[in-house]
Amino acid sequence: MAAMPGTAIQDVPLQDVEWEECCLQPGRNPELERELRAEFGMVPPAARYFADCPWIGRSLVAFHFERGRLVHLPADLTDRIGLVVSQDSSCRYCYAAHRLILRSLGLSESRIRRLEQDLLAADHAPRERAILDFARAFSRASPLPTQDDIRSLRQAGLDEAAVKEVAVVAGYSVAACRFSTLPALPPQRLEALPDRWFMRVARPLLARAIRRGFRPGRPERLAPEQAAGPFAFLVRELDGLPLARSMRQVIDEAWASPLLPRRTKGLVFAVVARGLGCPLSEQEATRLLAAEGLEPQALRPVLEHLASPDLDPTEREAVPFARETIWYRPASIQRRAREVCGQLGAPRFLELLGVAALANMVCRLAATFHALR
Amino acid sequence: MKLAVFLGAAAVVLAGAWWRVRGETLRLRARLEAAVESLERLQRSLARVAPEQLVDRIAAGGLPTRGERKEVTVLFADIVGFTALSERLEPHVLVEVLNGYFARMNRAIDAHRGHVSTLIGDGILALFGAFEPNPWQGDDAVHAALAMRAALDEYNRELENRGLPRLAVGIGLHRGVGVAGLVGSPERKDFAVVGGPVNVAARVQGLTRRYETDALLTEDLQRTLDPRFLLRRFPPAELRGISRPVPVFAVDGFAASGA
Repeated sequence: MAAMPGTAIQDVPLQDVEWEECCLQPGRNPELERELRAEFGMVPPAARYFADCPWIGRSLVAFHFERGRLVHLPADLTDRIGLVVSQDSSCRYCYAAHRLILRSLGLSESRIRRLEQDLLAADHAPRERAILDFARAFSRASPLPTQDDIRSLRQAGLDEAAVKEVAVVAGYSVAACRFSTLPALPPQRLEALPDRWFMRVARPLLARAIRRGFRPGRPERLAPEQAAGPFAFLVRELDGLPLARSMRQVIDEAWASPLLPRRTKGLVFAVVARGLGCPLSEQEATRLLAAEGLEPQALRPVLEHLASPDLDPTEREAVPFARETIWYRPASIQRRAREVCGQLGAPRFLELLGVAALANMVCRLAATFHALR
Repeated sequence: MKLAVFLGAAAVVLAGAWWRVRGETLRLRARLEAAVESLERLQRSLARVAPEQLVDRIAAGGLPTRGERKEVTVLFADIVGFTALSERLEPHVLVEVLNGYFARMNRAIDAHRGHVSTLIGDGILALFGAFEPNPWQGDDAVHAALAMRAALDEYNRELENRGLPRLAVGIGLHRGVGVAGLVGSPERKDFAVVGGPVNVAARVQGLTRRYETDALLTEDLQRTLDPRFLLRRFPPAELRGISRPVPVFAVDGFAASGA
């Protein structure tokens, strides 16, 4: 799973970070599984937990960066970005997933350890260093990326399109960490896998299979209908990159999914935008909510105090929970998530966490693209 | 024959040297890994006492000297009658009682996204919105004050059961713009917010005795609060160092069902 924050501050090694029991049960969704198998040659274990809310699983395909989604960035950088974001977010699941891929690609345990240490010791080449530093600042969002952050990337030789690709890779890592951390997907098997004998035997074959799958993307223009819809301003920023289509698809599927009403989803976007301090995303969420019948004056108390007598019972759960997905410690958000899951039921809870994760990605991207101008 | 012996001896010497260098390299690598690991741990621990961005800046280039203006909500709490209490209790009991108090107050503050900035004797200075942007910092701070009150009630029951005196606390809250940064001497620096908001919160805390209540907040904070907080208005009070009388409100509770 491509991996992300909670800007979760922990002073213990990542494998010792407190992690609750998963609040979801793995399920089956044959259509989703077919799609995942066609893309990855297997069903990623995380995807089974998303069977009830397939757009989350399909986002793994849409943002399978190594397969023709990136024009400017080398594919093998995506897992390093994911590793940084997941390490910074204390996401044991994504961290283990990225380590597994890096080990499969032939990196030894000590080499990965050095890679992590080098992140701290500034031993990377300037370009890679700038990219990984940006990924970390992007994930923390405290504050949202600024022109200073962009300037470092430009000085390292990245053009505007490459900066956008870095931001989307970091952005999806941010979202993926939330998909995994909030429901506490069990990381133990992934953590143990690299040291199993069969993995050691199969590593050269795996490395070859993974590398064979790497394919650079080609520039492509958005179709006119893709340039409209929720958060169109963000998708249009990516016009010319294959990632624009991925972004459009995931936002559209999340918005169209019937598990939660659009109004609830709009509220989640608005709360995350307010919490992160992204006026562009807040404006867009306000527009979407107005189209669903919630006028700006009715939205105001919700955004000021995360409550309003106008909210329905689902929204009363969703609104404060959305705020908690911005910065968190894994075990405390997981305990909260279990309560919310109990209140809403697994399918609706899944959609809520999916939309909150997507909102965290979208708001960070909107701020980054704004800073690029 | 002589050449073969010479080459053999040279090979043995070279192998020995290579073995020593390899051993030394491994030892150095192990020491480096241990050092980096403790650095990592230190950096993560530091992130609990200062914003991560600041910790990164310190790690990258030393101590930054510039501060920045930030809107923060300050909570100042102090134990009422602490001096008399400290004279009545044995030192080890006093320390134990205080530690229990701090642990509970810290949990209440942390649960509402506040950060304890400094402990001043028996006083607690906590900040909301100083580390990460937080548009809900005012509500968070008042919820924290209510959680502190509840935690103290529970602690007092425990103290009473052990035959120890009850604790009473005064809490002052204020929202305003202060300067955040690393403050102190070259030998010792702390991340702190200095300026108006901290002074006002401390002065308002002092008023709790006069108004015989345990939590007071200023009008600047009250204006930003969720209307479901149950507040009681007091006449504006003169505060030392503040030019105009400051309207203050007692915090009576929160009407959760009001939404």
